[in-house]
Amino acid sequence: MSTSVDEVRADTIPWYRRPRVLDVVGLLARLFLGIVLVVAGFAKVGRPLTAQRAVQAYEIMPMGLAGYVGLALPFLEIVLGALLVLGLFTRPVAIVSTLLMVAFVIGISQAWARGLTIDCGCFGGGGQVGAADTKYPQEIARDASFAAAGLWLWWRPRTLAALDRVLFGH
Amino acid sequence: MAKNTTTQGKAAAGSRQAKIQAARKSGGSGGANKIVVATVVLVVAIIAVVAGVVWTQASQKNAITGGGNALPPGVTALGAGFPAFPDVTPAPGAPTLDLYEDFQCPACKAFEDQLGSTIEDLAKAGKVKVVYHVKNFLDDNLRNDWSTKAANAAFCAADAGKFQEFHDQAYAHQPSEGEGFTDAQLKSFAQAAGISGAALTTWQQCYDAGKYVDYVNSVETKSFKDGVRGTPTVKLNGKELDLQQVGTPELFTQAIQNATK
Repeated sequence: MSTSVDEVRADTIPWYRRPRVLDVVGLLARLFLGIVLVVAGFAKVGRPLTAQRAVQAYEIMPMGLAGYVGLALPFLEIVLGALLVLGLFTRPVAIVSTLLMVAFVIGISQAWARGLTIDCGCFGGGGQVGAADTKYPQEIARDASFAAAGLWLWWRPRTLAALDRVLFGH
Repeated sequence: MAKNTTTQGKAAAGSRQAKIQAARKSGGSGGANKIVVATVVLVVAIIAVVAGVVWTQASQKNAITGGGNALPPGVTALGAGFPAFPDVTPAPGAPTLDLYEDFQCPACKAFEDQLGSTIEDLAKAGKVKVVYHVKNFLDDNLRNDWSTKAANAAFCAADAGKFQEFHDQAYAHQPSEGEGFTDAQLKSFAQAAGISGAALTTWQQCYDAGKYVDYVNSVETKSFKDGVRGTPTVKLNGKELDLQQVGTPELFTQAIQNATK
């Protein structure tokens, strides 16, 4: 079926020769990061005080600003996640998502370095916890794995079953 | 597709290539106009986030309120803690113990189970001045309003001089996290605290009116501003205690003695 077409195209267009498996890896990265963002966003919606306090607990921004970031973050995450799942503007969305994850890693690291004892509030919750209950290494590793998925899509935004391909043909 | 011969395939690929190049030059005339789609998506995304924030803030304002500036007995200002055991005259040099608790907080129950009676004995003996800062932040996370209602109920009990008794009842019968209390349960705590007859009617009116809801909200805001990030938080003469270091009645009593001037 389409194999013959693909083979032919592969002759004329060298970049199309890249293995289909890379497209599948891209799809998996997209779905992984996208679903994580949507889930993390929805976990915070409807809990405004908790979301505000979670950001304020990092003690990076002034209280008022941190409050607004806390309110906006869930919706930003849902929008980014939905676009990733759809595969729409994969590269720009992947860039923003990767930078967001890097920002989270920096935020958690500085909290750790300054001796704050907080929960990252990544999937809801957040705020102060007992000194023995912090999970900084796990939280950083988790966010780093999300950033890795984002980096893949930044480097190679072409993925299988993406709206980008349907709409723009490439 | 299966009928595609090599030549047709090459031609198709060639025209595809041309389309891509054309698209690159003209900014997307080959398929959907990328700039138009990008603008639409960006605008929708911004509207979604802004609308989300506005909606959240509006829903936050709908949180229960009531009572205005009403203050529980002994409390000097909105946001300030409630001095318990008003009938006890503290010994000279007795330290002040600030307790920050939320009635729905399981760690607070654990703390109360462990040290509650010790604190009560010390307070009744005048060896420590206990000030409760009753918080309600768990309402938001648990998506109910039972922390606020229980706190209001406790201060309504304070009007009858039964705060401590009500407080102990509430922690002794704390529901599992997220389940919340019931109106009937809170009333039964008031009764078990020793409120009856006309006083119970007054308690019920106070409870139904939400007389101390605004006060509780003010304590929540004030304590967070003061750096209290979780519950239970215990401060002895203004200094936060590490609860793991004073986890037994003996160690806790020792810490109180050490802080006595």
